[in-house]
Amino acid sequence: MVTGDVAKVSVITGAGSGLGRATAIRLAKRGDKVALCDLNQNGLEETFGVIRGNGGEATGAVVDVRDSGAVKNWCADVIKQLGKIDYLFSNAGVTSRSPVRDMEFDEWRRLIDTHVSGSFNVCQAALVCMVERGSGAIVVTSSDYAVIGMRHASNYAAAKTALYAFTKALAVEFAPHRIRVNAIGPGPIDTPLLRSRGTPAEWQDRVRDYEARLPMQRLGQPEDVASVVDFLLSDRSSYITGQLLQPNGGQVMW
Amino acid sequence: MADGTSEHQDRVAIITGGSGGIGNAIAKRLQIEGARVSIMDLASPAGGTGLETSSSLPPISFYQMDVAQERAVETTFKSVMAAEGKIDYLICCAAIFHATPFLQLSADEWKRTLDVNLNGGFLCCREAIRHMQPRRFGRIVLFSSMLARTGGTNSAHYSASKGGVLGLARSLALEVAGENIRVNTISPGVTDTPQPRDHLSEEELYARGASIPLGRIGKVEDMVEGCLFLLGEESAYFTGQDLRINGGASLW
Repeated sequence: MVTGDVAKVSVITGAGSGLGRATAIRLAKRGDKVALCDLNQNGLEETFGVIRGNGGEATGAVVDVRDSGAVKNWCADVIKQLGKIDYLFSNAGVTSRSPVRDMEFDEWRRLIDTHVSGSFNVCQAALVCMVERGSGAIVVTSSDYAVIGMRHASNYAAAKTALYAFTKALAVEFAPHRIRVNAIGPGPIDTPLLRSRGTPAEWQDRVRDYEARLPMQRLGQPEDVASVVDFLLSDRSSYITGQLLQPNGGQVMW
Repeated sequence: MADGTSEHQDRVAIITGGSGGIGNAIAKRLQIEGARVSIMDLASPAGGTGLETSSSLPPISFYQMDVAQERAVETTFKSVMAAEGKIDYLICCAAIFHATPFLQLSADEWKRTLDVNLNGGFLCCREAIRHMQPRRFGRIVLFSSMLARTGGTNSAHYSASKGGVLGLARSLALEVAGENIRVNTISPGVTDTPQPRDHLSEEELYARGASIPLGRIGKVEDMVEGCLFLLGEESAYFTGQDLRINGGASLW
């Protein structure tokens, strides 16, 4: 295990489940000190439990990424406690399903706020530290739906596409500071978020549908995405910025 | 890996254009990782094939071959099968590019560029797939180029050929996705290899870095890391994807 100042500090939002949890576990395994947040305290505790069980180092707090003050305070705490922020995985997200004509404005705004404004808050807070140090890398969770359409998820698709645009803008703005910013566009991945789009009873049918529809004939696992974030938050990708990497089983190619 | 063994250990890799800048660096890296590497190229590598090294690393084999010659491709792949018994990886780096203004492009130069850069990819992929399918395992990486998307002056022939590579890779990816064969591409920006020195001076080449967001031209190592990512299990859920390694010079 890497220790002392050499160990990287990685901040991960939405680390209480799914992609955030799998990535936190993976980055802690490679020796990063991970600072995690989520709205769900229990989920967060479970992630801590796995990482500490593996002998890793994790800290964290319940933070609503929509609350810019809370995000700033938390990032300041992380820097105070761990000395720096090397990497950020801006991943916190929610989903819902509704045809546009029935969608409440609050439901539209909840997704835009959480994904887009939430990512803005977290990136801004982390970038202050990264610019000071003249290094850093960020990965933002976008989606295949930044590229293709999705029925009954206009708010989700709009939010994820906004995040892709945000990623590209950040990449250009912060490249002179030697900070790289990339997005991931996962296809369907077996996470609580994906499962929540239907009832538990429907799940097995949905899995079979994914297997029939996806070129790779299998539903993605959170580890399929965590490995990509691992690559993007490392020197191995030091010439990649502003890009969308899509672990999607071949669902979209462009 | 946890036990210190590379996941590329004992993989059989074919690298076309393996004597050139990027291809040769990938060959040497895979050799270090314990893979059994066969280079196919018109010319042998400048620094030798690695056969000379007395280390414990598996030697790199060299096959002289023109990727655009159908018969030669078939025969050479058969030779690798005879020697190694399988083909796990195919990395297509073979390409030519002589910058030429559009109206000065001869039909011969146009055809030769498409023959090597695009048709060569087709022929090598077809042979590789024939040998990969029965074992239900394969990883293919084709080199496209940033110019496939952006275009560029004096490069209509090259851009067209590299655009074709993207279409080839995606369609092939769809066809073989169910057989545990993944096909992806890398689109480098301008990279520090002998190739761009064909039409750029040293000064011009490095000056390109100033207009790139990350402030430099690409290094061979950047492409090697991307290629190993696409060959390995870290990209297990990737197929038909294009990894754009260009320092932010093009964002799509």
